[in-house]
Amino acid sequence: MLTTPPHLYIRRPSPTTAEFTVTTCPPMTIPLRLALLSILAIRITVVLSVIIALYSQFFAPQAQPQPPQPLETSSPTAKTILSQISPSTLLTLLQTLQLSAPGQSLSRLAAALPTWILLLISSALLYTSLLLRLHTTESVLVLRGLGIQTSSSRGSNTRFIPTAKIQDVLINEAFKGFEVRYYLVVVVEGEEDVVVVFPGLLPGRRIVEAVWRGVRGCLYEPGPGEGERGRYKDGGIERW
Amino acid sequence: MHPFSTLTLGIFVAGYITARWDLVTRLYELAIFAWDYGVVSRAAKGFAVLTFVFLAVFIPVQRLATLEANLHDGLMRVFWPADLPRSNLKGVVVGWRNSALDVFVVAILDEVEPRNVESALKLGTLFRNAPHPVSRIYELCGQSSLYVLGLSNTPETVEIDPSWVRVTTGPGHRVPSVSCARASSIQIILFERPLPGRMQYISLNPIALALGDKQDSFRNDFSESGEEEEEKQERLNKKKKQQLVEKLKDHSVIKHVPSAKERALAKIVNQMNWAWELEKLIQKNVSRIGTRPKRSLSVSERVVESATTMRDMALVWLWDLMVVYVLPIIRRIFVLGLMCHRIAAEMMLRVLEWRARPRYAALKDISATAQQVEIRLQQFCYWPMQYVTLRLRKNDWESVTTSHPDYIRFYNSLWLVANDVIIGIALGSYIIDNSDWVAEEISRLLSTYTVDALQSSISWLMGWPAGLKLNTELAEFLGDLFLWVIDYWSSCIETLHPALPHIVSIIGFSSFAGASMPIALLSDLLSILTIHIYSFYLASARIFHWQLNILISLFHLFRGKKHNVLRNRIDSCDYDLDQLLVGTILFTLLFYLLPTVVVFYLNFAIARMAIISLKAVFDTMLSCLNHFPLFALMLRIKDPRRLPGGIRFELRDTQDFRIAFRDPPRQLPSTSVIYLKSTPLNFKAMFHQYFQMGNRIRKHYLSPRVLLCLLTGEFVPPLNRKNLYSLQYSMLPARRAGVMEMWDAVNSLPGPKRRAMPIYVPALANGKRLPSNYAGGRSRSYA
Repeated sequence: MLTTPPHLYIRRPSPTTAEFTVTTCPPMTIPLRLALLSILAIRITVVLSVIIALYSQFFAPQAQPQPPQPLETSSPTAKTILSQISPSTLLTLLQTLQLSAPGQSLSRLAAALPTWILLLISSALLYTSLLLRLHTTESVLVLRGLGIQTSSSRGSNTRFIPTAKIQDVLINEAFKGFEVRYYLVVVVEGEEDVVVVFPGLLPGRRIVEAVWRGVRGCLYEPGPGEGERGRYKDGGIERW
Repeated sequence: MHPFSTLTLGIFVAGYITARWDLVTRLYELAIFAWDYGVVSRAAKGFAVLTFVFLAVFIPVQRLATLEANLHDGLMRVFWPADLPRSNLKGVVVGWRNSALDVFVVAILDEVEPRNVESALKLGTLFRNAPHPVSRIYELCGQSSLYVLGLSNTPETVEIDPSWVRVTTGPGHRVPSVSCARASSIQIILFERPLPGRMQYISLNPIALALGDKQDSFRNDFSESGEEEEEKQERLNKKKKQQLVEKLKDHSVIKHVPSAKERALAKIVNQMNWAWELEKLIQKNVSRIGTRPKRSLSVSERVVESATTMRDMALVWLWDLMVVYVLPIIRRIFVLGLMCHRIAAEMMLRVLEWRARPRYAALKDISATAQQVEIRLQQFCYWPMQYVTLRLRKNDWESVTTSHPDYIRFYNSLWLVANDVIIGIALGSYIIDNSDWVAEEISRLLSTYTVDALQSSISWLMGWPAGLKLNTELAEFLGDLFLWVIDYWSSCIETLHPALPHIVSIIGFSSFAGASMPIALLSDLLSILTIHIYSFYLASARIFHWQLNILISLFHLFRGKKHNVLRNRIDSCDYDLDQLLVGTILFTLLFYLLPTVVVFYLNFAIARMAIISLKAVFDTMLSCLNHFPLFALMLRIKDPRRLPGGIRFELRDTQDFRIAFRDPPRQLPSTSVIYLKSTPLNFKAMFHQYFQMGNRIRKHYLSPRVLLCLLTGEFVPPLNRKNLYSLQYSMLPARRAGVMEMWDAVNSLPGPKRRAMPIYVPALANGKRLPSNYAGGRSRSYA
């Protein structure tokens, strides 16, 4: 429900400029938004509980429960807490959280585990909740007269190839595991390696073919024979 | 027509015909004559031929011409500076026209007549008071002149040239709306102008932090010195890949010939770099176009101007005095001192680079200290040349970007040396203050690790280590041999002991020349003081290797085979009984003696590996001190636009853009709004050389070949120093400039400019005068 198989969006504000985006993110509906929000909440809770567990294991003052002092700081409203955020208040907040009932059970759990297992689990949890992305989006932007730009949400790296350096744009096939994958490549003049478009998602042949046709039609000016003008309406957003 | 006038006309014609009846009969005769002689048929034939020609030639030609005219399918490309001042005033758009439908906007001149602007562009009025030659602009921007590109904020009713654009902009509009009679679709490419004063610029290719001419010369060196196995493998792979690339070229079915628009990108990038400076210059000269309301100065303003003129004149006089009399002398003395140092440096470099034979190692290839001294001297030789090129930058427009990488390289190396010296002073003062303690510590470390630890491990090996029953006699023999050498060596070190504090203080003093110096000295000291371990390693490796070889050949004998050297293969062989017997006995003997030799060999090999890794740590520290891209990193944080790593485009949504311009009734052509942004250099590219060096070291030491060498007891060759240090030399040119070249370069520097008179001296205090900012660059304006 949260992700779909890669599908294609086309943005084409004018017939000479087009952006082809392949994404695993389904169209934003209200249930999806709610699900994403709840995932965010779960992530925040996980990160917080990991921090509390680590704090209780390594940094908390040993064996001196001070219920009265932290309880004082926990009683004021959220506004006053926000207004006086400083390292010390954050620390007291952390202490308060640790002394609450779920915090206590967490710290008991942390104390029960050996140190290296605790570190391993907490680093794994932090990695999944902070760094893992749910959706992958990769796009290729074609500008007639300028060139092709590939970009990817993974690592957010973009690469622009001027038209004068593009030798060819073609679809190639390769074995990956036990299947044949079709992928779009841009052959760059004077470079040893070809540039693979949508390298992370490697969408299916139907999408790749559509993108290839779009790129060919958009990148070069149509010769006298092929009148492609007016085939696309401006401002259209098409979906595959 | 009115019936009456028709009647009148009819009567007139009838009357005329009756009056000139003979004319009518003549015409009739002429017609009969023409019919008789075939004129009509001939005329019909001619008409048919002409029709055919028209159909077959003229119509296709016309059709082709229209197609040709529409070949660019009406795509117009407008490069528009996003930070151009936006005003509601009527204006004239001025810029470069790269091709018919490819324009680059430089400036909008407010409230002027397009006719006047055109004439001013032709006459060059807009480039008056340019600080540097104007032809340079045209040369670098690749165009012969600026053009009027269109009008901004003009009402629809005004007729304009069809090739001009009509622009609507204003303070509220982030994106201008552009239309052109000839264009059916428009790309507006917005970009932020880089500020040339801050040395920002845009480039298509990532900025090169290392000097480019290095790689080839190093390759050549390798081919001379006999390249290594991995290098050869790498080269072969590259060749194979090159062949594949060549093959791929044949696969392109349609060869697309790049159009003028596609080829213009490099030029356009230059124009972007020039946009800021050019706009400032033009805006300064706008007041020269046409007639503008002018105002004469008030009396108080004139008084202020006269007073400042007086002050400026006094200052200029003093400055001239300095420049003419004092400065040349100081300069001369400085240059002479520099040349003396340069000659001394040249001599030292000659010594360091001297080789007895071309293939022999020079001093700098053996010792880390010599290498370090050589790098510093080379840098010293290169700095004046770099400085001269950077000084020449001042005589050109600020938008010329070719010397910016040089600037970064120059200041990076200066910063690194300064940093090195600062750390070195701290380190050196510490070492000198505690020289006794440091010397004590060093001698303790030496005796613990290179003598005592070795002795104890050898004695451990002599007495059945870890329950392993070695051959007692052989172990004792080998152990005694090594122990004896170690004893001798430790007595040598004992004699060295009193001199150690002096050596340490020498190292301490050397560190005032930079922290890299003591590190290099320590690295050398380490290799000198552990020379016994090296020799043990060599000796035990030899013994082990021989024994292994003998065992292998005896094993062949044991199986009734032998190694055929001529064909390099294993042949079967008929041995005699006594040969077999003796061989088998020897095989058994040697086989049982092998573990004893192996443990000794392993012991020394591990010690050797530890020393190599220690030296690798020293070398890494040295390369960090000598080559760390400190200045580039600081620039990346401070102002990423000074380190361009290419460009990237962002397609903006045009919906909001359309809504913003709904009010004008005209139909906008389909427009795409694109932002062009400069991407800063990524960190991977910054540390590219480090990655390369790491790769090389990994390939050399962590390859299966090295493991095989270790197992068979062959000598593991250390990594070629040149290979390791290619990183450090990447900041230096392949060939250093000679002494005379430097002399010429230093003397070719232009002298400090004599300041011209600040402003003209007012001859008459009365009369109509223009405001002082009229004169452009040099005059001051009242703030």
